[in-house]
Amino acid sequence: MNGRGALVLKVVYPLLALLLVIVVWHLAVAYYQIPRYVLPAPHDVALHIADDWRALMKGFGVTFIEFLLGFVLGAGAGFVFAVLMDAAQPVRGILYPILIVSQAIPIVAIAAALTIWLGFGLAPKLVIVALVVFFPVVVNVLDGLASVDADLLKLVRAMGASKLQVFRHVKLPATYSPLFSALKLSATFSVTGAVIAEWTASTSGGIGAYLLQANSRLNTSGTFAAIAFLAALGVVAFLLVVLTERLLTPWRTSSTARRWSRAYWRD
Amino acid sequence: MTTAPAKLALSRVSHRFGETVALAPTDLTIAPGEFVSVVGPSGCGKSTMFNIIAGVLTPTGGRVSVDGRDVTGRAGEVGYMLQKDLLLPWRTVLENIVLGATLKGGASRKEREEGVALARRYGLGDFVNHYPAALSGGMRQRVALMRTLAMHRDVLLLDEPFGALDSQTRFAMQQWLLSVWERERRTIVFVTHDIDESVYLSDRVVVMSPRPGRIRRILEVPIPRPRPVSCLTTPEFAAIKREILDIIYEEAPQIGAGTPETGA
Ligand SMILES: Nc1ncnc2c1ncn2[C@@H]1O[C@H](COP(=O)(O)OP(=O)(O)OP(=O)(O)O)[C@@H](O)[C@H]1O
Ligand SMILES: [Mg+2]
Repeated sequence: MNGRGALVLKVVYPLLALLLVIVVWHLAVAYYQIPRYVLPAPHDVALHIADDWRALMKGFGVTFIEFLLGFVLGAGAGFVFAVLMDAAQPVRGILYPILIVSQAIPIVAIAAALTIWLGFGLAPKLVIVALVVFFPVVVNVLDGLASVDADLLKLVRAMGASKLQVFRHVKLPATYSPLFSALKLSATFSVTGAVIAEWTASTSGGIGAYLLQANSRLNTSGTFAAIAFLAALGVVAFLLVVLTERLLTPWRTSSTARRWSRAYWRD
Repeated sequence: MTTAPAKLALSRVSHRFGETVALAPTDLTIAPGEFVSVVGPSGCGKSTMFNIIAGVLTPTGGRVSVDGRDVTGRAGEVGYMLQKDLLLPWRTVLENIVLGATLKGGASRKEREEGVALARRYGLGDFVNHYPAALSGGMRQRVALMRTLAMHRDVLLLDEPFGALDSQTRFAMQQWLLSVWERERRTIVFVTHDIDESVYLSDRVVVMSPRPGRIRRILEVPIPRPRPVSCLTTPEFAAIKREILDIIYEEAPQIGAGTPETGA
C-alpha cells in the first residue's frame, strides 16, 4: 500500500465515519423532533463543550492519568508475573487458578471493596485499571514465552548461549507481539475501568465523575459531552498503544531496520 | 581417511531414551576439510547423533572429540544448522548473522564488519538491513548458514538444511554450499533424506539404519571435483546411489510391513 492509500484508510475514512454519525444524529433529532432532555442535537452538545471546556479538559486530564498510570502498572505487573510463571512451574501451578477465579469477580464488586481499603484517592482507580489490563497481559505473554520454537532453543544452546542470554535475546523479544495484542485489546476496556472506579468514589473530578453529575441533574447535553470525551479518551488510549507498538516492534510493519536505529548498518 | 589426524571423532557414542536405543555404540572419524553426508530412514538416530556432537544432548555412553579434545556434552564447539532457518524475526539479516557473538556478550564492530563481508561475498550484501520476513526461503537458509559460518567453528553440522526448499532452490543451494565449502575449507557433516544430494555433495556417505540406530556402511564417493551437473547422470553416480538404496531397503523391504519392535 502506498503512503497516500494508507493515509486515506487510516485518517480520512474514520473521519468520514464520524461525520456520518453526526449527520445521521442531527437529521434524526430534527426529523423526529426529539426533545433536548432525551437526546440533544450535535450542536447542543458542541455548545455545552464550548461552555464547559475547562472542566471537561480537566476531567479528561484526570481520567487520562488514571488510565495511563494504571495501564502501565497493570501491564508491568502482568509481564513480571508471566515471566515468573514461565520460569518456575510451581509458581505457575499456584497462580493460574487464582488468576482465573479473580477474573470471575465483576470489576464493580472489586471497585467497591477497593474504595473501603484504599479510600477515595488515586490508588483505587489505578488498581482497577491495572486489574483490567493485568490478566490479558499475563495470558498473552505466557503464550508468547511458551510458543518459542523448541528447535530454536536447542540451536541457541548449541551456540553456547547462557540461560540469561537466551531469555534476553530469544524469549523476551518473542513476547512483544502477543503483549501488544493484549494491550490493544485492553486499552479501551481500561478507560471503562477508570470510569467505573470514578463512579464508586466520585471525588476525583475525572470525566466519569463529570458524567455521573450531569446525569443526576438530567443535564443531557452534559452527559453527551462527557460521552464524547470518553470516546476521545478511548481513541487516544488505543492510538498510544499502537504508536508504542510501532516504535518497539519495527519488524512487524517494515521490511528493513529504521535508518536511525542501532540495528541499521552503514559503512 | 584414517591416516590424517581426525577433526571430529566419535568413539563408542551411544544414546537411549528410556527403553529406546536411539543410537547404538557408534564410531566415526572425520578428517579436516572433509564433506560427509549421513543418510538413513526416519528415526535411525541422525539428529540424535548431531545433538550429541553439538553438545545439547549428553550421550549415555562414549565420547566426542574435536581436534583430539574431549568435547562430550559441551555446547558451542561446532556450528549447527537445522532444517528450519530459525532466524529471529526481530533481528535484521546482519544481526542474525552475528547472533553467535551477541549470545556470547555482544557483537563488536569487527564482528559486524565480518558479518557484512560474509553477506556481500555470498550475494546478500543488499539485504543486511532487511528483516528475515522480507526474504525468500532460499535467502533465509543462506543467512542461516552465514550465521553458522560466522561462529568460526571448523566443524559444521547441517541437519537437512535444504529439506524444506523446493527442488530448484535446493539445487541452487547445493551448488552454493559446495562453493562455500571450497572457499571456507570447513569440515561439513550433512544429514539428508535425498540420496542424490548426499552423493553429489560428499566425499563419503554414512548409511545408518534404525532399531537400534547405528551405522550400516560408509561409502566413498570417488567422483572427482569440481563436480559438474552432468555427473548426476553418469553410471558411476548411479552405481553409488544404487548401492546406498540397496543398503537402506534390504533392512526395510516394504513400507507398511510389520517391523520388529526391537532390533538387537
Ligand atoms: N527427546 C526424545 N525422547 C524420546 N525419544 C526420542 C527423543 N528424540 C528422539 N527420540 C527417538 O530416538 C530415535 C531417533 O530419533 P532421531 O530424531 O535421532 O532420528 P532421525 O534419524 O533424525 O529421524 P528423521 O530422519 O525423521 O529426522 C527415534 O526413535 C525417536 O523416536
Ligand atoms: Mg532428524
